[in-house]
Amino acid sequence: MYPEDLKYTTDHEWVRSVGEATVRFGITDYAQDALGDIVYVSLPDVGAALATGDPCGEVESTKSVSDLYAPVTGTVTGRNEALGATPEVVNADAYGEGWMVEVELTDPAQLEALLDSAAYAAHVASS
Amino acid sequence: MADFGGWEMPIEYPDGGVLKEHAAVRERVGLFDVSHLGKMQVSGPGAREFVNRQFTNDLSRIDPGQAQYSMLCDVSGGVVDDLIVYLRTDSDVFVVPNAANTAAVVEQLTAAAPDGVTVEDQHTRFGVLAVQGPRADAVMQSLGLPYGHEYMGFVETDFQGAPVIVCRTGYTGERGYELLPTWESTPALWDAVMEVVAAEGGRPVGLGARDTLRTEMGYPLHGQDLSSTISPVQARAGWAVGWNKPEFPGRSTLLAEKEAGPRRRLFGLLATDRGIPRPHMQVKDAAGSIIGEVTSGTFSPTLRTGIGLALLESSTSEGMEVTVDVRGRPSTMTVVRPPFVDVSPR
Repeated sequence: MYPEDLKYTTDHEWVRSVGEATVRFGITDYAQDALGDIVYVSLPDVGAALATGDPCGEVESTKSVSDLYAPVTGTVTGRNEALGATPEVVNADAYGEGWMVEVELTDPAQLEALLDSAAYAAHVASS
Repeated sequence: MADFGGWEMPIEYPDGGVLKEHAAVRERVGLFDVSHLGKMQVSGPGAREFVNRQFTNDLSRIDPGQAQYSMLCDVSGGVVDDLIVYLRTDSDVFVVPNAANTAAVVEQLTAAAPDGVTVEDQHTRFGVLAVQGPRADAVMQSLGLPYGHEYMGFVETDFQGAPVIVCRTGYTGERGYELLPTWESTPALWDAVMEVVAAEGGRPVGLGARDTLRTEMGYPLHGQDLSSTISPVQARAGWAVGWNKPEFPGRSTLLAEKEAGPRRRLFGLLATDRGIPRPHMQVKDAAGSIIGEVTSGTFSPTLRTGIGLALLESSTSEGMEVTVDVRGRPSTMTVVRPPFVDVSPR
């Protein structure tokens, strides 16, 4: 139900390895569905230092606003500028075109601490 | 589903969503189940005169068969509720208050009612379904229900053997109808109307889009833009006050406030950046002074930008640029006069 090539957090975010020490992250399909129509996404600036668990942006829907939390520790190397004009892409393609931030990890080993697909599915089922 | 004053209400429907549901009402037609709205009956000789001494609007402005937007105030001019009054006859007046305020309205009227006039809470005796949008007339025609009567007029008829009141009212800004069937016949009516609405390219609409639709029109929501501390004068609802009437609760306070000029008024806010105003956010002028706060705010699906209503110092002028504190991020917005969209319920 949740892509097996991704890692997850209990804050309903996904993390994808896109290079040796580089990841992209976004919010899960469960999160976008719970938020409803997403109308505004605020992301950290390129160059910003992120620490796991810190609020680093906002996702606002017609119904509510939620903080985006850094799922990893590292430096922002890119962000999905397309979401400025078309935030609804997050609803349509949460794991693909709806990616949010690219991060160069301080320590690649930290990914091992994240949930795998099965563990995230269990977390969703229990929440 | 959300708990709304004890009623389990859909924020949005499956396969819908606020944006799709909002667009359906603006472009085609939407069906709302607003059966949570209160219903009460005031009956007996002099019922109309009694109601006219209680509510703000002037019931002598309408004839039997017509409905009117009105308010019930407390003695200090605070708004207990805003509501729709259906004048059937001089001795038979039906009232639709907000769900959460029904008990308060029934209580205040019961306490004031003269001998011979009865006030009855009929909250679960009738359902309320709203059919709103440019295709609303076509939906009514397909169902064989009355349509095309004048704005705010109502007709009592029956559908599949059960009585239903059909009113040219709504809270979306679109042309449309509100249907008041008996509680027991409401599910069957919903099913029948939904089938036709779907055939017209419409969809069911939840509370989420109901809020974006009314906010685009600048219609106040009690508890946010009108309340026990926000008077009709401040909320620019003076048009629904019968100033020439000799009495109604709060009259002298409201008249004094109107003549002196209110210290704050309800204005519209239109975001010039990507900020979305939300209730209780602070509003500052160019000099950085706090001039008020947002009372309602949302993303306008029609304009694709943030819009809101805000209670601001009366010296504020339309066209002024203000700064709204969006969770610590300053957002620039222009003070405007609602409605935000060019539609008419007539």
